[in-house]
Amino acid sequence: MDWFSYDINRYTNVRMLAIPLIIFLLSLLVIGMTYASTGLPVRPGIDFKGGTAVTLSTPDSEDSIRAYFAGFPLEPITRDVSSRLYLLKFTKMSAEKNQQLIDKINARYPDASVDYIDETFGQTLQGQAIIALLFSFLGMAVVVFIAFRTFIPSIAVVSCAFIDMVGTAAGMNVLGIPLTLPTTAALLMLIGYSVDSDILLTMRVLKRQGKLEEKLAGAFRTGIIMTSTTLAAVLSLWIVSGLGQIEVIRDMAAVLLVGLVLDIINTWITNATLLKWYAEKKGS
Amino acid sequence: MAKPKKKKEAEKKPEPARKEGLKEIVRDWRVLILIILLVLSVAAIYPHFENGKFTTALQFGLDLQGGSWLQMSFASEVVGFTSQRSADDLAAALNKRLDADVSQVGPGQLEIRKSFPRNELERAFSAENATLTTYEPGVSRATADDIKRILEQKINTLGTKDARVNLLTPVGTNVVRYVRVELAGVDINTAKSIVGKQGLFEIRIKTVGNQTEHVLFGNAITSVGNPQQDPTRMTWGVPFTLSEQGALDFRNAANQYGAVTDEGNHPISMLLDNVTVFSAPLDPALAKELMTQNVQRLSASTGSGTVGMNQAQTLEIHLRAGALPVNVQVANFGQVSAPLGEYFKFMSFIAGVLALLTVGLVIYLRYREPSIVLPMVGTNFAEVIILLGIARFIFQLDLASIAGLIAVVGTGIDQLVVITDEVLHEGKVPSPALYLKRLTRALAIILVAAGTVVFAMLPLALMDLSTLKGFAFITILGVLIGVAITRPAYGKIIMAVLSK
Repeated sequence: MDWFSYDINRYTNVRMLAIPLIIFLLSLLVIGMTYASTGLPVRPGIDFKGGTAVTLSTPDSEDSIRAYFAGFPLEPITRDVSSRLYLLKFTKMSAEKNQQLIDKINARYPDASVDYIDETFGQTLQGQAIIALLFSFLGMAVVVFIAFRTFIPSIAVVSCAFIDMVGTAAGMNVLGIPLTLPTTAALLMLIGYSVDSDILLTMRVLKRQGKLEEKLAGAFRTGIIMTSTTLAAVLSLWIVSGLGQIEVIRDMAAVLLVGLVLDIINTWITNATLLKWYAEKKGS
Repeated sequence: MAKPKKKKEAEKKPEPARKEGLKEIVRDWRVLILIILLVLSVAAIYPHFENGKFTTALQFGLDLQGGSWLQMSFASEVVGFTSQRSADDLAAALNKRLDADVSQVGPGQLEIRKSFPRNELERAFSAENATLTTYEPGVSRATADDIKRILEQKINTLGTKDARVNLLTPVGTNVVRYVRVELAGVDINTAKSIVGKQGLFEIRIKTVGNQTEHVLFGNAITSVGNPQQDPTRMTWGVPFTLSEQGALDFRNAANQYGAVTDEGNHPISMLLDNVTVFSAPLDPALAKELMTQNVQRLSASTGSGTVGMNQAQTLEIHLRAGALPVNVQVANFGQVSAPLGEYFKFMSFIAGVLALLTVGLVIYLRYREPSIVLPMVGTNFAEVIILLGIARFIFQLDLASIAGLIAVVGTGIDQLVVITDEVLHEGKVPSPALYLKRLTRALAIILVAAGTVVFAMLPLALMDLSTLKGFAFITILGVLIGVAITRPAYGKIIMAVLSK
């Protein structure tokens, strides 16, 4: 069963590559703008810039909560659809002020959840997150190069993963998903998973016998199901966590969704075109 | 020579593909391992009803069971240096200059138990004819272990049911930068007061009969050193320093009650919160010294060997009366209430079930063949169970690791799709030989894909600082279980299904 036909030959290589190229350039623009204003490619969340996050389950109205916390550096409140679970974020404040805040929270909302991150600790975490992202990407690239042992197909896979990451980072900025520890984890996951379908594609094209078009189409049939199943799992995760206001999982799922959609484009247009070009050149 | 050839030819015949009954599938070792692991995992997870409520033996992180955590950084640095002077000499000089506890913690390494910026230390070092080469905020492993012991002791005395103390070291250094205390079922203010609590320390002296007299309180102790071994007597002891007033009180008591002349009948005892933690007579040499002068630097010796060392370590903690050897600053704290944790747990469960169902639906839409879809979804489900079964022994499930678990569901099925499509290539059911070739090719794709995920997650699994270790572990574990156990078993099962 095919949902739609996959024919990479309908357009020339250059025209095919135009779509991912435009997305890539737009992504760079978004990231550049964020970098100019925050010093990071993605807007950092509380984990990295410090502050206090509070989750409340209460029948109180938003206005009454805001009034209760007047005098504290409260950012705009978000809440879930049933509007009983509120997410409050406070920017950094002095230690005494922070203790006052905790006392105030525990006095009226003893069942609240609180997470405070000191600014210096946030910076340390940020440094570690960057190290993790770098090494993770390098590790993935090494595995790919060892697996294929040919330069062009390997570099095609690795660059597609890179373009995925850049696009996902831009997507996070557009959707307002901050860079936190959980979303960093989602990005790391994406580094690993986004190359799945690229590997399938490359293996099929390089190692199988047969006509190139058939191999590409066959790889697509399998690959698109692979991505769809992951998308389905992540989508259900996103819906449930979105409805239930589980911020950690919701943000992770959103990042994975953006990355997987971009991965479809980058695998089946960018990587496939590069691979086709390589196979034709080698064959002739 | 002729016989094997014949056999091969027989295998090449496309028909009949070997028909295998359920019995034979189950007897295959790959499938057998999967089933055994599945049974063991269910036993390990141990789902049961307790007081009419459904529970399991799974361990949950603070964000799913409720509790609080407190992470602290140290007002201390570990620095490297080069100098012509000996480390002890330099440490003593810096001790005076910086008015801070300075001690050698390794070759060419000093620990400075006070917060200083790097440039200030550089100036102090060059003034002492030394050069600062490295600068890391934090404490040495030995000091960190001390801090951990002290915190664990405090928590234990309160009998808090579920607590853990972890030391955190950033990647690329051996200097411990943070200590993290996690307490289940306690709110953050309680946690803070437990961690900050100090005990009442007292030194008493035996007078007549079983009577003892007060000598001094813990506030007279100005510093406590790490346990040391006496080089000649080989006994362990804890050095500590008294204030001038404290030394005077100590000397007066020793003289007044006759301990200086009759040490054996007037032992000195140490009490923490009115419980005796140490008792020993004065050393004869010290007794003699106390007749004529105040002694500020004392040492309480415990004994020789490992027993003596362990006792010295415990005594050191008692001497500090719960105070940490370095000052700490709070870097991160938080709490999750039990009802909220319960709610998160429930929602995660719903999300997990929904993910399994939607994945099953997508697979059904693709193959429309229950005999393929059921083994696929079943294998996937088995993978989750085995993963949980193993996870139950290694770590606590938290929100992030549940997200990882669900992602494993999504990608696990990916690889089953690769196997199925590779085997079903061109829509025909292959002969066993061709099947094996294709399965090998499918496993090659899976192996590379698995390798990338493992390596992508490895930095996170090794990083001490992040709370995402569990997430990274579960992802890596999921991939490994998949490659080693569930994929090969699925390959066997699907072959049997297809050849029917």
